[in-house]
Order: sequence, then structure tokens, then C-alpha cells
Amino acid sequence: MLPRPTTHSKALGPGVAGPELAVATSAVLDRPPQPTAQRPLSGAQAFSVDPSLVESADGPRQHTQYPYVTGTSVLAVKYAGGVMLACDTLGAYGSTKRYKSLERIIRVNARTAVAAGGEISDFQYITRLLEELATDDYRTDDGIELGPREVFSYLTRVMYNRRGKMDPLWNSLVVGGVEADGTVFLGTVGMIGTHYTDSHVATGFGAHLARPMFRERQSDDMSEADAEALLRDALRVCYYRDKQSINKFQVAKATGEGVAIGKPFALETKWDYKAFAAPTKWAIGAW
Amino acid sequence: MSGIGTGYDLSATTYSPDGKVFQTDYAQKAVDNSSTALGIKCKDGIVLAVEKLVVSKLLVERSSRRIHNVDRHAGICVAGLLPDGRMVVNRAAEEASNYKSFYGEPIPGRVLCERLASYMHLFNLYWSMRPYGTAGLLATYDEDGPALYLVEPSGVAHKYHGTAVGKARQAVKNELEKMKLGQLTCREAVVEAAKILHKVHEEDGKPFEIEMSWICDDSGRVHQRVPAEVLAEAEAAAKAAMEESDMED
Amino acid sequence: MFRNQYDTDVTTWSPQGRLFQVEYAMEAVKQGSCAVGLTSKTHAVLATLKRAQNELSSYQRKIFKIDDHMGIAISGLTADGRVLCRYMRNECLNHRYVYESSMPIGRLVRQVADKHQVCTQRSWKRPYGVGLLVAGHDARGPHLYNTCPSGNYWEYKAMAIGARSQASKTYLEKHFEAFPTATPEEMILHGLRALAASLSEGELTKANCAVALVGEGSSFVVLEEDDVEPYIQMLKEEEGGGGGAEPMAEAAAEGGAAAAEGGAAAAADDGGDGAAPMES
Repeated sequence: MLPRPTTHSKALGPGVAGPELAVATSAVLDRPPQPTAQRPLSGAQAFSVDPSLVESADGPRQHTQYPYVTGTSVLAVKYAGGVMLACDTLGAYGSTKRYKSLERIIRVNARTAVAAGGEISDFQYITRLLEELATDDYRTDDGIELGPREVFSYLTRVMYNRRGKMDPLWNSLVVGGVEADGTVFLGTVGMIGTHYTDSHVATGFGAHLARPMFRERQSDDMSEADAEALLRDALRVCYYRDKQSINKFQVAKATGEGVAIGKPFALETKWDYKAFAAPTKWAIGAW
Repeated sequence: MSGIGTGYDLSATTYSPDGKVFQTDYAQKAVDNSSTALGIKCKDGIVLAVEKLVVSKLLVERSSRRIHNVDRHAGICVAGLLPDGRMVVNRAAEEASNYKSFYGEPIPGRVLCERLASYMHLFNLYWSMRPYGTAGLLATYDEDGPALYLVEPSGVAHKYHGTAVGKARQAVKNELEKMKLGQLTCREAVVEAAKILHKVHEEDGKPFEIEMSWICDDSGRVHQRVPAEVLAEAEAAAKAAMEESDMED
Repeated sequence: MFRNQYDTDVTTWSPQGRLFQVEYAMEAVKQGSCAVGLTSKTHAVLATLKRAQNELSSYQRKIFKIDDHMGIAISGLTADGRVLCRYMRNECLNHRYVYESSMPIGRLVRQVADKHQVCTQRSWKRPYGVGLLVAGHDARGPHLYNTCPSGNYWEYKAMAIGARSQASKTYLEKHFEAFPTATPEEMILHGLRALAASLSEGELTKANCAVALVGEGSSFVVLEEDDVEPYIQMLKEEEGGGGGAEPMAEAAAEGGAAAAEGGAAAAADDGGDGAAPMES
């Protein structure tokens, strides 16, 4: 069976599924299909892996098992009329604070913003996919744009598909925005395709450090100023306790008016708390 | 020499005794019979315009477009068979997005034009396919500034200061030659294009609408439809100019 | 009816720059029975006239649901129509799978039209011999599109295709200004009246016609048999009440109601209008 191009295979991006040119030019121009890990000859290209192509003489491939340059937690909350996302601007190479001005929040279109933690190069690839989707909408020029919910759904499919191919995109993504009808959307998807929507989300270390604060202080009808204050407090806590973070942050807002990504800023910090001087004093079992 | 009835004009892979490929010429005919389209290169950008006959009052206004976005910095106006034109536009969009993903920057107009020309030329090489019955006016704005190209069914492509295709191409070209294209701004060109299209339409009097796009500094160097109010203004000016010239007659 | 040497192959241009094979394919659309579509500000409606092969056979279905927000009515080669129907359903499902939302109508129609185009350019293919009326509702409101074998498509406020559709079109052109504010029920009645105009003999019955409705907040639903009966009754009462006879088709003789859709049955020529010319 010949691999049959489907429209979504193109939308899922080059190398993910299906042939690159969705419109076959003609039999004359078509090359015979070459099997790849992503596109085995079985024909079920979008949903299966050909094991013989994944495995080499050296055994199963392992280069997908570690991230290299990573970003840490992303925090986001809903508030009255929009979503606010925040994260620092570090790209860490292992424990080295290698790139200190990496912007990890992108604007997808007028209604949607995406932020990412995890492997930066994978996020840059995802950025390209999303750019292409936005360009497709622009090309069609019919006044229809992907809403945040659709972008979120798309990303969950991409992430799960790649995980299913044993070649995951090493990211935690946060999608926020406002639908055409004014509903506020916030969701997150992880590297293996797990996803959920909530009034507040935090990835990575933030899930432990920031979410307790969110549970206490966040409400969907809180003001923009309150939301920003909450995020700043949460960022500060994350910065105190997460060695993979730096004191340079960005906050982005997605509202009915559009997406605004703020300039990087630093937070006031205070390091002379007594508990900081003897960090293991109250932590039983620590050394 | 006419090829009709000689049997030398039935395939794109057949030469006539005097060295012509008639099928290519016939495909060009489909373009020549189509509604008129024109492109103008101005000092600050490109304007594309095309007339569309309104064949039924049941049609939704401004549907079935002839001008399409290819990428943010490029657009195509197709003359001839609309379905063929759409396929060429699809190909252009693919080329643009492939180039972008490979080189990380927008496809230069010159390259896009070349690739489209090669693509259309391909259909002149095999007996099993027919040449495209469409010609594309390509407007781009890249590092080298704005540029206007015309890609024809034969696979020939040229860069222009101003050109026209379709039924009234000769009349439009005459008008364009009278204008000082290098000194025009796009805003002025929009009005001029409307005037020309109204003028060449004077005789038949059939209902038609004008579709227009530009890519210039006013549009942020992004290819987009000319805003409705700008187009309406231009059409009003065109109609006023027509009446004026009628009075003089 | 051998006309010339340029009309037997889809890859041959005529000296005038025409594609006869494609034009012939468009004739196949006119062989099918009539299908009507119309839109209001909130809804889109399809109405079709069904034919039966013979007295013992069932009536051939002409309306197909594509997705919750969209459906098509076909005229011409039914088998070709079903191929396109399957393609459209598949595309809608793919879109739902990836985006968890319904596919914009116009984008799908363009894809279908591109599919048509490919068949007008390859020697080993033939153009699809079917015209579609696509009715649907998306983020931009209700839409009605017409595709044809040439690969052209148009968006309409109201349209009719198929045998003697000119009479239906005449009705639509006369009344379309009232459509935007019409209620769904009025729309269905308009659709049926337009359909009745295309009848050469007999009348609309619950067996030979089907109606479909889609719109804001209501997913695509086909009304057949007993579901369409009340509307036919309403029409009859209207006529009985002397509410003005609708323009009926001038009797253009046709090979009987049993003519197969686009089949080998007698050629019906409704005066050469029907599908719009290949380019316009």
C-alpha cells in the first residue's frame, strides 16, 4: 500500500508523518516512497514505528534519552479576561548556566501564547511548527485563525505521536489564550503527551513550588495586577529553591486584545533569612 | 502557421515541422481569453489587480479569489483557468515553506519565480500531462526590494515594471506604458489600476468586481488585500474619471 | 457525436484554449436530478429530488452527511459523488482528531476542488462527473458552495444544479433577497418550492424528495420520508389556498423519471445553462 498523504500529516510537521509535499505533483515526479522511522512502508505512517528502522547494529537508539540545553519551570494563571504566563530566561547546559537570555514564551497568533520548559532545541522545532500553522492561516486569508484550544489539541497530538515513536520532544508546554467567544483557555502538555487544562498550571519544579501558592491565591476573576503579583511571588520562590533558574524573568499576557510578551526583568531578592543560613536544620534526613 | 488539422498539435511532446509546440500555445490561449489581470511595480511596492465577471447575482460577493497569499512577503494573481491557478499557488506556497524550513529565511522573489517557472515548464515535457492553462503575476518584497514577475504556461518567466495578462492585456499595456511607473506610489497605483480596469471594461458593460492586493511599506511589506475602504475610494475615483472623459467626448 | 480531434483526451488543449473533456464532464452533472441549496444568516438548507431506477427499486440517495456541521447534495455520477463524500468525511475526521474542532467549510471545499483539478490534467484519469452543493456552518456562519468537475468552485447565497435546474435558479433569483432573515422552516419551504420548479412531471412526494438543514447550534440533519411530509403538506395547502402557483419548468422533454443519474439513459439537455462555464 502506498503511503497516502493526509492533510493532518502535513500539519503535524515535516518528519513527523507523511510525505513532505502533500500535493503530489504527478506520477512522473513522485519518487518511490523511502521508508523512514517516521514513515514505514506499512502505510500506517502516522501511528506506527517500523522497529527495524529504529534499531541499528548498536542496539536500540538511545540519543533520544537525554535533553541537553534545558529551560526550567513555566508558571501560568488565569485571571479576569486573560491568561498570564511566566518563566525565567535561562538555557542550562547540564548545570552550567549557559544561555541567559533565551526567550521561552512565543506568540502563536493574536489569541494564543505558548511557553516551554525542557529541551530548548525541541522547543525551537515546535516553534517552527506553530509558525507554519499560523502562516497557513494567513495564506488561506479567510478570517479563520486557530484558537488556543485548537493549538493545545494540536500540540498534544504532536507530543503523543512523537512519544509513540520512541522519539519524544523533551518539553513541557503551556498553552494560554482567549477564544473568539471570550473564554479564557489554559492548558499544559508534557513530553509523553499527558495533558490537562486548569485555572493555573506550573511545569517542572514549579508544580511543587508554585502550585500550592496558586491554589491558595488564584481565582479566575482576579485582577491583572493581583495575577502579576502572584506570579512574581511564585517566580521568586522558584528562584530561591531551584538551582536551574536565574533571576531574569519574562511575563506574557494573552487577552482579548492580543498577546503581549513583556521585557525581561529581575526580582528583588533577600538571602539573609535565617533558614537560608542553615538550610538543613529543619529538614529531617538532609545533610 | 496554424496547426489545426495537421495532427502536430495534439500533444505537448510533438513539434510541428516549423518547430512549434502547439499545445503550449493553446494553453496560452486559455490565459489570453481570461479576465484581465495587471501588476504594477511602484517605487514603494507592488500592486496586483484583476477584474472578475459577476456571472450570477446569487454568488457571494468577493468569493472565488484570483489573488492569493503565498507567504507573508509574496502573493500571486492568477489569470486563466482558476483551478489550474490554485494548483500553481499551492506549489508556490510549498516552495516558500520548504525554503523557509531549510534555509531559515523567506524565499527570495527571484528564487520563487524560478522554481514556479520550472514547475510549470514540467507540464510541457510529457505526453501524459497538459500544460497549465494559467499565468501567474507574482509580487514579492525581499531584501532587494519589491519585484514583479510573470510566469507563463510555457515555463517562461520575466521580471517586469508593469504588465498585464488576459483579454484586454494589450489595452492595459498601452495604458501602463503611458504612466511613469518609477515615480508612482502604491496608493496612487491602486487608483490607476482601478481606472484602467474600468476603462477597458467600458465597451461590454457586463457587471464585474475588482480584486486588488498590494505589498508595500503601507502594508508593512506584507502581501495583503487592499483594504476595502481604499479600494472603494479608488473605484469611486475611477468611475468619476470615466464620467469626466465621457463629458469631454 | 464525434466533434473534433481535440475532445477525446483530457490532456489535449483545443486551439481555442478549451478542454472539451472537462466540458463534457460538466454535462454529466446536468444529467443528474435537481439539487437546491440556500443560506440564511443562521442556516443552510439543501433540497434534492430523488430518482428511482424503476418501480421496484428504492430512490437514490443524494444528500450525504459529512460531519456534524456539514453535508453535501450531489448531482451527476453518484458513484463519483460517494468517493468525494468519503474523502470529505475523512478530512473532517482528521481535522477533528488533530484540532478537536470542526473543519472550516471553505478550506475543505478548496481541497475537494483541488482534487477535481488533478483529474483534469492527467491522461490516466478522467474528471469527476459530479457536482456538489456543500452546505455547512462554521466560525464564519453558514455557507453554501458549489463545486464542479472542472475544479472550479463558487460560494453562493443560493444555487441549484442538475437537470432543469434553471427553473429552480429562476425561483431562487426571484426570492433570494428574503432568505437572509428567513426562519429554518421558511428556508425549507423555499428549498422545496425551488425544487418543485424543476419537476417535469408529477409532484413532490415524501418518497422522491429529501431536505437537509444545518445551522447555528443545530447539527446537520436530513429530513426524509415522514420527516419531510409535513413540509410537503404545507406546500400543498399553500397551492390549494390559491397562494400563487410557482413557476414550473417549461416542459423540456427528458428520458423519464427513471433515467439513471448520469447513466446511459437518454441525454437530457436543459438548454445548455446549468453549470457555469469553466472560467469566468
